[in-house]
Amino acid sequence: MAWRIGIDSGGTFTDVCLVDEDRSEVQIWKVRSTPDDPSRGIVQAFAEGLSRAGVSAQDVAFFGHGTTVATNALIQHRGVKTGLITTAGFRDLLAIARQKRPHLYDMSADKPQELVTRDLRLGVSERLRGDGSVEAPLDEEELRTAVRHLRAEGVEAIAVSFLYAFLSDRHERRAAEIIAEEFPQAFLSLSSDVAPEFREYERLSTTVVNAYLGPVMRGYVSALKSKLHDAGLSVAPNLTQSNGGVAGFDHAARVPVRTLLSGPSTGVVAAQRIGQVTGIDNLITFDMGGTSSDVALLTGGNCRLVAEADVHRYPLKTPMLDIHTVGAGGGSIARVDSGGLLKVGPRSAGAHPGPACYGLGTEDPTVTDANVVLQTQNPKALLNGQMPIDRDLSLAAMQRLADRLDLGVMETADGILDIVTANTAKAIRLISVQRGHDPRDYALMAFGGAGPVHAARLAAELGMDRILIPRTPGVLCALGLLLTDLRTDYAATQIRLLDEARPAHLAEVFEGLADQARDWFAREGIAPEAQRLSLHVDMRYAGQNYEIAVDLPEGPIDEDSLAALREGFLARHEQLYGFVAEGDAIQMVTYRLQATGLVSKAQMPAYPDAGPDASAAQTGQRPVWMREAGGFAETPIYDRTLLRPGNLIEGPAIIDQLDTTTVVPPGMTARVDPYLTLILERST
Amino acid sequence: MTRTLNPVTVEVIGSAFSSAVDEMGEALVRASHSTNIKERRDCSTALCTAKGEILCQAEHIPMHLGSFLQFVPRLLEAYPAEDLRPGDVFIGNDPYAGGGTHLPDIVMAEPIFVEGALFGWAINTAHHSDFADRGHAHVYQEGLRIPPTRLQRDGVRQAEVMRLFLLNCQVPDERLSDLRAQMAANRLGVLRMQELCARFGVETVEAAGVALMAYAERKMRAGIAALPDGTWTFSDIFETESQAEHLTLSVTLTIRGEQMALTFDSPPQVRAGLNVIYTALQATVYYAVKSVVDPTILPNAGLARPLSITAQPGTLLNCVHPAAVDGRISACQRVVDLIHGALAQVVPDRVSAAACGSVHVASFSGTRPDGGLWVYLETIAGGSGARPDKDGLDAVQVHMTNTSNLPLEALEAEYPITLMAYEFAEDSGGDGTWLGGMGVRRVYRADADCRVQIMGARLTSRAWGLAGGVPGASGAFRINGDPQAIGLSGSADLAAGDIFEVITPGGGGHGDPAGRSAVLRDADARAGRKAARA
Repeated sequence: MAWRIGIDSGGTFTDVCLVDEDRSEVQIWKVRSTPDDPSRGIVQAFAEGLSRAGVSAQDVAFFGHGTTVATNALIQHRGVKTGLITTAGFRDLLAIARQKRPHLYDMSADKPQELVTRDLRLGVSERLRGDGSVEAPLDEEELRTAVRHLRAEGVEAIAVSFLYAFLSDRHERRAAEIIAEEFPQAFLSLSSDVAPEFREYERLSTTVVNAYLGPVMRGYVSALKSKLHDAGLSVAPNLTQSNGGVAGFDHAARVPVRTLLSGPSTGVVAAQRIGQVTGIDNLITFDMGGTSSDVALLTGGNCRLVAEADVHRYPLKTPMLDIHTVGAGGGSIARVDSGGLLKVGPRSAGAHPGPACYGLGTEDPTVTDANVVLQTQNPKALLNGQMPIDRDLSLAAMQRLADRLDLGVMETADGILDIVTANTAKAIRLISVQRGHDPRDYALMAFGGAGPVHAARLAAELGMDRILIPRTPGVLCALGLLLTDLRTDYAATQIRLLDEARPAHLAEVFEGLADQARDWFAREGIAPEAQRLSLHVDMRYAGQNYEIAVDLPEGPIDEDSLAALREGFLARHEQLYGFVAEGDAIQMVTYRLQATGLVSKAQMPAYPDAGPDASAAQTGQRPVWMREAGGFAETPIYDRTLLRPGNLIEGPAIIDQLDTTTVVPPGMTARVDPYLTLILERST
Repeated sequence: MTRTLNPVTVEVIGSAFSSAVDEMGEALVRASHSTNIKERRDCSTALCTAKGEILCQAEHIPMHLGSFLQFVPRLLEAYPAEDLRPGDVFIGNDPYAGGGTHLPDIVMAEPIFVEGALFGWAINTAHHSDFADRGHAHVYQEGLRIPPTRLQRDGVRQAEVMRLFLLNCQVPDERLSDLRAQMAANRLGVLRMQELCARFGVETVEAAGVALMAYAERKMRAGIAALPDGTWTFSDIFETESQAEHLTLSVTLTIRGEQMALTFDSPPQVRAGLNVIYTALQATVYYAVKSVVDPTILPNAGLARPLSITAQPGTLLNCVHPAAVDGRISACQRVVDLIHGALAQVVPDRVSAAACGSVHVASFSGTRPDGGLWVYLETIAGGSGARPDKDGLDAVQVHMTNTSNLPLEALEAEYPITLMAYEFAEDSGGDGTWLGGMGVRRVYRADADCRVQIMGARLTSRAWGLAGGVPGASGAFRINGDPQAIGLSGSADLAAGDIFEVITPGGGGHGDPAGRSAVLRDADARAGRKAARA
């Protein structure tokens, strides 16, 4: 019997999902995380989980792991002492960046912390030209001296980023050989490996972040691997990446910069799969936690992959799911500013001291306090009764705020929810409207501890009429680990006019990328029948500097492929910018290949229909503020775990479960689908 | 659905305004063709009321607010509201006709109609790298002057207007593509406002706009009221590449309760492109006051209400026709220094030492092998002033501009220029307990014969320090090592192989240099940083 296990290690809890490949029943549990050494919590979760399910470690056929090790090291600046080698004359580019100041009006704002100090940034004589030819050869002696200096300074990692290395890696390769001779222990990050793309600053920044995180990730992964091995795991463990796929531990340790969105990306993958079985593949995901919300857009079941984004203020050129984060969570604090307007977040009360109702000293009301006041969340205890709270403290905090606004208490609490909704809606418009998609064509999939509480308001704000709440909204990321494939991305930049391109050119570039992908398939031990390649070209009008990603149809590359690229580009340009420039020349810029190794996924079992009557799941009722009702309405409370497929619940209703609360407002109906997903729709 | 107006609705609608102007800006940058817009982001977007009051300006380039202040009011004088139709588009750039603050900043505006009535305007401006290598004795030498003019009527382009404009441009293909991107950006703004009005009701959105302006006004009043009453003065030196003589500019700043009055003294307007049109002076004052009083005040018309601004017409800081204005940003940077210098006496703990005080510009132009012309303009960052509690920032755009640099890998692909170095000017930041930010050294090699035109200030004067801090070092322009190679005309020919070098000024230091800790001095030494000395 074969088992698959997914372990998502977060700041507070380590979530585990275990599935038996034959019966497909998902088992879930949580253990406390061990932030000082996350591998301890993970191994404990692994061992406990297996013993609880009565499974031997030998029977585990797949191990997937999501981690915040890289993200936390970057946020808290706990990477290693790093050296940088650049083309002579350009060592300060890392600090100059794009020469913009960090805040337009606030002179006290600072740039993000420099990951390599100036004394460890060394220029070396070498220079390529824009056609890849050599203007000045690499001065090998100068390079050796630089490496010896960095070694003497005690760096643990070296980043090398030369101008035009995306066109030719010859100088960077030679530099790598010399560094390997002089300082073999150093973690080495080459820009031609990590981000072989146009725009030198962003490539440099990515290469440096990768070096800075490298030894941290390498140490973490090797310790965890050996502990898991000691615990009896016999298969190679995998780690999730920002692109929504997993890769082997060794690959992740070599390019840690690709794991920075490891956590949120698996939530998106799980949402994608749940949408698939439900038959809804146009989705906007809304993952709301204590301090922030992550949103993403899935069209036809796919989340767009972006080639570049700022992560914790550092620009990175690495394939990432297009996930946008906004500082709006349950702990976000509400206040009145000097002009008399109500503001919510981004400051958060976090888990400690938490919302005012925890009684640990928070004076200003949070989003959670607003829900407690309005009784959308249980006014006596959270977490299914495990955590008692004091609604009077929420009320007192809310009253102080209401007095300053000259509004009623309930109106103020209701206003806080409106504003947090508006902030989140702004993030969703950014990933939908601003990318040419109308949110009204999408269903909202809400998860995370606070997502289902606010989903109905958010949907109304955006004009969306359908909401999906998965069965286990609080552990969706761990579930996603069992639903994802092995995946990695390759890219090459070569600017060429579409009109002058021949299919053979295109085929040659992609063949080079496919060679790299085949090496990776071999290293990961992916069987030929499980190998998949998908191809994209980043295109623009000659003269523009921002490209649009266009899919290349499957099959051999011929004249039809070029025609398909042209059509795809024009359609996207019209959708994004509202016009096409008839007759203007189109360029192909960057060629991208995504390699996927299919793995068998956890199946989602369907349960038999039990009819519309949900009364068996009703556990009580309480007055709940419903804006649609204009005040408090006596509202039935349901236990999520008792709901069966086919059950129908008319709003107003509250559906409670351990990890979240779902609000069904008047005018909406909740239906339970065969996979125990809740589907909220406007009542007809 | 019309919702009642309360602080919550106002906040929600305000956030929709700001997301619309951001979206307009992103579309403009991504669809444009010239390097100055697509990579350097020298453009701004905004929404206005029907009468032309600023509802919301995106956080792009503070100087560009000056292009928006009078565009719609002056347009409405020529085109009465009843003559406007959905799908009209207006273009303009002339400072004396309400079109902008200098001729290369081309403004485009499209009226927003909701339920058949004029609701407001989507407006943007972009700095077109054109009108290059011109004279600056008066505005007629600086480029084509365009008053607010209808370029598109009912959705139909007025081809003859476009032909007239493009004939006056040195790089017409780029202009056409950029104008198209500007129009597309406004179109998005129009759509977003129409959607917003459909959701909330046009009366609610209008009322929220009024409330947001009142809100910005309240915040500005609250900020000023928190400052002590009194009158302060500050003077500074102004010189540039074309103005070797040191001119004196000064401000008298008076705070009374919730109001602030600023009176500027400056010499008579000069026969050089350094004069400041009143709207540019307004935009500068709004920026400089907001950055000290409360950087979070919303960028709309309300914040101006508690401020009064006076300068004698016909002087450098309030010029009249036909004064040349192309380099007005040099003088505007000095106006920021004046205001901050005065406010440093009021709230010393909130004001930084002077930033580099210049927008160093290098504008290259030449002829392509096919006979077409090319123009490449860039502005180069300097050091910001030391803060009262920390060092200044190295290599950042300061105050009235905030454009990006152009990636070298894009620059060399488009123009016959090779970049030899781009690094900190190590000895440029003023010494002090806290050091002024370092300027930049940027070195180019011409790979074909071409012409370079420069602009810059603080070439012989220095950015002042505060509380005993030392001034930052001056900037320079050199050809083959010679700082005198470019005369007061501000331009010179480069032969293939010539080396052109730009050094930008550093920021002033803050506090007595003796107060800098040994730990920091040691780190400075390791980083190869040599503070500018008195």
